[in-house]
Amino acid sequence: MIKNYFKTAYRSLKKNKGFTIINLLGLALGLTIFMLISLYVYDELRYDRYNEKAGRIYRFNSDLKFGGNTGSYAVSPAPLAAAVRADLPEVESTVRFRMWGGAQVKKGNMNIHEHAVVFADSTLFKVFTLPMLYGNPATALKEPNTVVITEKMAGKYFGKVNVVGQTLTLNNNELYKVTGVIKDVPRQSHFDFDFYLSMSGFEDSRNESWFSNNYNTYVLLKKTADVKQFEAKLPEFLRKQAGSQLQSILHLTFDKFEQAGNYFKLTLIPLTDIHLKSSRVAELSANGSMEYVYIFSAIAVFILLIACVNFMNLSTARSSNRAREVGVRKVLGSSRNNLIIQYLTESVLITFIGAVIALIGARLLLPLFNQLAGKEMVITPQLLIGALPLVMAFSIVLGCLAGAYPALFLSGFKPVQVLKGKLAVGMKGGTLRNFLVVFQFAISVFLIIGTLVIYNQLQYIQNRNLGYNRDQVMIVQNVWMLDKQLPSFKQEIKQLPGVNNATLTGYVPMSGYGNSTTVFKDPVIDEKRSMMTQKWMVDEDYVNTLGIKMAAGRFFSKDMPTDSSAVVINEAAAKMLNFDKPLNSMIYSPQDDMVTSVKGYRIIGIMKDFNFTSLRENISPLVLILEQDGGGLCIRTQTKNISATIAQIENVWKKFSPNQEFSYSFMDENFDSFYRAEQRTGKLFIIFTIMAILIACLGLFGLTAYSTEQRIKEIGIRKILGAHVSGIVGMLSKDFLKPVLVAILIAVPLAWYFMQKWLQGFAYRQDIQWWVVALAALTAIIIAFVTTSFQAVKAALANPVKSLRSE
Amino acid sequence: MPKSFNNNMLSLQHISKYYQNGPNKAYVINDLSLDIEEGEFVSIMGPSGSGKSTLLNIIGMLDAPTDGYHYFIDQPVHQLKEKQRSALYKQYIGFVFQAYHLIDELTVYENIETPLIYQDIKGSERKALVADMLDRFGIVGKKDLFPSQLSGGQQQLVGVARALISKPKLLLADEPTGNLNSKQGEEIMELFRKLNKEDGVTIVQVTHSEKNAQYGSRIINLLDGRIESSITL
Repeated sequence: MIKNYFKTAYRSLKKNKGFTIINLLGLALGLTIFMLISLYVYDELRYDRYNEKAGRIYRFNSDLKFGGNTGSYAVSPAPLAAAVRADLPEVESTVRFRMWGGAQVKKGNMNIHEHAVVFADSTLFKVFTLPMLYGNPATALKEPNTVVITEKMAGKYFGKVNVVGQTLTLNNNELYKVTGVIKDVPRQSHFDFDFYLSMSGFEDSRNESWFSNNYNTYVLLKKTADVKQFEAKLPEFLRKQAGSQLQSILHLTFDKFEQAGNYFKLTLIPLTDIHLKSSRVAELSANGSMEYVYIFSAIAVFILLIACVNFMNLSTARSSNRAREVGVRKVLGSSRNNLIIQYLTESVLITFIGAVIALIGARLLLPLFNQLAGKEMVITPQLLIGALPLVMAFSIVLGCLAGAYPALFLSGFKPVQVLKGKLAVGMKGGTLRNFLVVFQFAISVFLIIGTLVIYNQLQYIQNRNLGYNRDQVMIVQNVWMLDKQLPSFKQEIKQLPGVNNATLTGYVPMSGYGNSTTVFKDPVIDEKRSMMTQKWMVDEDYVNTLGIKMAAGRFFSKDMPTDSSAVVINEAAAKMLNFDKPLNSMIYSPQDDMVTSVKGYRIIGIMKDFNFTSLRENISPLVLILEQDGGGLCIRTQTKNISATIAQIENVWKKFSPNQEFSYSFMDENFDSFYRAEQRTGKLFIIFTIMAILIACLGLFGLTAYSTEQRIKEIGIRKILGAHVSGIVGMLSKDFLKPVLVAILIAVPLAWYFMQKWLQGFAYRQDIQWWVVALAALTAIIIAFVTTSFQAVKAALANPVKSLRSE
Repeated sequence: MPKSFNNNMLSLQHISKYYQNGPNKAYVINDLSLDIEEGEFVSIMGPSGSGKSTLLNIIGMLDAPTDGYHYFIDQPVHQLKEKQRSALYKQYIGFVFQAYHLIDELTVYENIETPLIYQDIKGSERKALVADMLDRFGIVGKKDLFPSQLSGGQQQLVGVARALISKPKLLLADEPTGNLNSKQGEEIMELFRKLNKEDGVTIVQVTHSEKNAQYGSRIINLLDGRIESSITL
């Protein structure tokens, strides 16, 4: 009997090719997107799970509030790791990373800049699962000046994998012995370093300060340890460890410090949460975001729902064509159950075919999707085998769900009635169908509004006047290697014909470069009269090169020797400091971590605020001092003939430093990369929206086709009675516009609410405009109208004699 | 007290079928009694709206009367549950329609086979039965064609073959020649006569055609839901 069901199902699908194609296409499209997004979400959720001890590894986070400013850091004090090992019995091991901003690695005569360089404790391999191909993980990083590198780097610098015992030269003169080669770090890792330098050769790692946070510190807890209990011990532990230092620096007890509204807290974050739930200062790499995982999951479910709704709608709409078959089968002795099973078989079959097409589609579209999502996902055979039963089960469940209504509906027909043709079913039971159309279009309108809002916000970020000019600004990196020749290098660059100006500093907006410190309003340290701020070292060409405007006073000048103890601050800092007359007031900055001495600076100018961090954040205080910084040379070039200018600059670079790699970037590119996550999300959102609308339209198209077929006789009669084509098109389209209008009414407030919530994540945002809503509504109406009227026009133009003759 | 007779195929006693239309009852069948014996070939005639098709559907258990007693091979159909009725019907009754009502998606062979599938008959046995039937009706060469590839007469032939495949005791036909030309119609009627005479199948047909009615052994004339006359030929 099953064979018979399949045969009938197959032939019936084949007979109604148009219907089958629309139904399959909608379903397969929906499922493809669902699969791709599931893959994306799965990938995001798998981060750091390659670690065998992932469940027991935690990172310390520090949260500081001091002098009215707050900071959340992924780094913690250097002595923390040793102290928890000594004091807290739950700890099995710890490991610290110290970021180093990259290094020049010598290959032959050339120096190549490598970003992925880090100092790491020798316990690295006890905590993280980084399989070592050559070398001994237990001893590899024990000695000073040893390095463990990845397979990839071994190949790059030595041309082979087993390079244990070889020597690497870093930054021209530091020799490191390779003591281990590890497999490349898995892609799904929140850090991705290629060079792990031994921490024991890094002097600063032994500093005792509890008030300078520079080390990404991880703890591996014992199997028996209870995290909650462990975390509960941390405040008391910190108080004991850091209390005496606080006393000697600020002359405060920890209690007093906290009573003044300040805090210093240590918390733990599970390793597996870091990628999606942590975005603190000094993360080891840009992390993902749980928010986007939620957003995308929601979209996936939406699209799947739309596709299912389509399926149900089309199947029931088509039921009229099958009513006679139901009648005949019942007369031939079929029971209701037989029929239900038959129709369910049919819908499961269609879902299964849809799922298989979707699986192939997902495989084919994966490279494109990877490019859009910035991922390198692959469908491995294991994943496929794992997913296959899921896909099977899924198509059965989905097929039954989507087929249940049509099956129950159809099998309930009374044979006498349907055989007499009394039941012009099809478009009856339209309440459910209208409800489903409303549902589909509500989702579509929601997604359209979401897309427009995201697109608008991205445009806003792109075009907002940030308070500085990032166009045509080139940044030459690692100029510190020129050392004493730096000033003359800058002079020579400034004189190039294609160059307007140049400033020597690594501290430029959006560079990720930062230097957080505290300044005080008095020479006697009083944390109540302090301000947490960024303190940047710049030269006298800074504001001119970057096009920053002054609000009051003047900028640093070469002609004023006293400027070495002067500062220029931004408006945010001026507001925070709250001097009566900020110009010429003094502020005091500690000269070392332990705040043993302070230096006074005179405020000589106030800059207009500019956005030096993400637009998600408000502009925070910024203090500029005149001091040489070799982080980079920013060059404002002229618009014409940029490539020639770049070549000239490179020539100058080669003259000064023949063996160093010339590396540069453009500020606007850096800016774009800062918002790449948003750009990406925006793009994906737009694509998914188009898909959702497309699927919804397919459904609507199919529905109109059937409703029109149902009413073909009515249309014929109306035409004979003298109805115009336009009147008939209007009549047919009206039926479908009503649910679309209802959908708009439902979707608009929801979309408004959720998008407003998303926008709240930006300190600088473009609020939702009324025209966004109007445009979304109009788009939905037009799309629905075009889809339905295509069928309606066709029906209205048909010769009525033909449609009436068939009786 | 209603009673049944042993030699009766079916017995309808005081059957009524009506629709409540406000305070009025619209009768389709009005207090009708009818006995049909095994081996009879009954033609039901009457003008449009006289209740012919309804009567046939009641006999075929596709429709239930509002009132009255209905016995089929000594079973009180009016007391049976839906399932029992359907089992009875599956076993003993075959139906032929004016519009053939073949399933478009199935071939000739499969159309004929379908009732056997619903009776849970094994595949090998089905094969033999269908092959017999195809042979008997001379449509072996058409077995893999779909209904749309056949002429009306051929389709009705398949329809009859399908109705007979489960060896029914009673064949019900609702204007079986209504959609056919006269030559095709005659062929079907000849077939009916042969089935009745040689195989002893009881036949009840609804027809408009005086000529076709003559093939039967009895003609019942209906008017307004009552039997106006019953003529045994």
